[in-house]
Amino acid sequence: MKRAILSCSGMDKQMGSLARELAIRLNEKTGDEVVCPTLLASLPARYEELLKAASLVVIDGCGTRCASKLANKYNAKVEKKILVSEAARELGIDPESGLTPGPNGLKLVEQLLRDVERDLSEETTPGNSVMELAPPEDFLIVTHDKYQFKIPKEGFLFNENDSWVRPVGDKARVGVSDYVQQKLTDITYFEPPALNANVEQFGELGTIESTKSLLEIVAPVAGKVTAMNMELTDNPGLINEDPYGSGWIAEMEMSDLASDTELLLDGEAYAEVVKRKAAEDAG
Amino acid sequence: MSETTFMGVPREKIPWYPTIDYDKCNFCMECDAFCPHQVYEHREGDRKLVVANPNNCVVFCRACGKTCGPDAISFPVKSEILTLIKNLRTEELVG
Repeated sequence: MKRAILSCSGMDKQMGSLARELAIRLNEKTGDEVVCPTLLASLPARYEELLKAASLVVIDGCGTRCASKLANKYNAKVEKKILVSEAARELGIDPESGLTPGPNGLKLVEQLLRDVERDLSEETTPGNSVMELAPPEDFLIVTHDKYQFKIPKEGFLFNENDSWVRPVGDKARVGVSDYVQQKLTDITYFEPPALNANVEQFGELGTIESTKSLLEIVAPVAGKVTAMNMELTDNPGLINEDPYGSGWIAEMEMSDLASDTELLLDGEAYAEVVKRKAAEDAG
Repeated sequence: MSETTFMGVPREKIPWYPTIDYDKCNFCMECDAFCPHQVYEHREGDRKLVVANPNNCVVFCRACGKTCGPDAISFPVKSEILTLIKNLRTEELVG
């Protein structure tokens, strides 16, 4: 598929100017067209055909994520996202203030350019999915107004942050619940956790973005991420369609399920949590 | 409305909520628009935004911080809060 680049305009803060710089350099390396965010916002017809044909590399400067919001607004397909402020924190680089990139800022841009080029050129390794699991069949149904929330009766455990774990031996599949996918509405992007990362219970297992909101996936168990559901890269809407089956998030090698279970709920107990949350949403 | 308990522990005993760095905050109010739990409120004066209802904050949710342009929102360390919750649960069971 054709690719295009959409970045922050870079006129507000230093992180934005670095996002812009990264977009320009990526364009010089790859030849992928750059979408002007201001022009897109004022004259979307200019990019209508391109956005239909291309998948985007979206580069946001800061957490306001204007470029991501624009991509959402025009229903663009997103292949890869970069958030410069987060990357700066993770890499321990402190860019100079001001809109003209300084030495530290340019160092960050060069590092991100290498990372994004690598990510785009290689097929990301999804890890080896080793679990073959039939989708659950028996559900508890929590009804609230016109909404119905399904919760598998058996084989799944939940945390109060709406993530599930389906353990088999010392391995497990993890995902998010039907309740939270409905609350998010249309899911447009899934940022997977790092493969082989060791995650604590209640640590971060990637993020999900929807047209309406953003969710940090809170790990139901501690362990090592051994596989990611790469189907979600092309089709994050699978989480909406089938949250307990084909919309799974990751597979993990659990470090201590027995201890983690203390802070997990079975289907019945989670149904009570969903009832309470649905009532609060309505209230 | 606030959650009354988290994992069986009274919500008000768990110090999980955002802290605003007023040196960085530009009062764009994006966090307040994002949070569906009315954690934030607007005020008159210098500090136009405050964490008014900390116990409304969903324990372990940091999503508003991810929407903050100037990076002015911080949260406690998850592992420390988890240890505290485990200790409080033991106390509740013993008590």
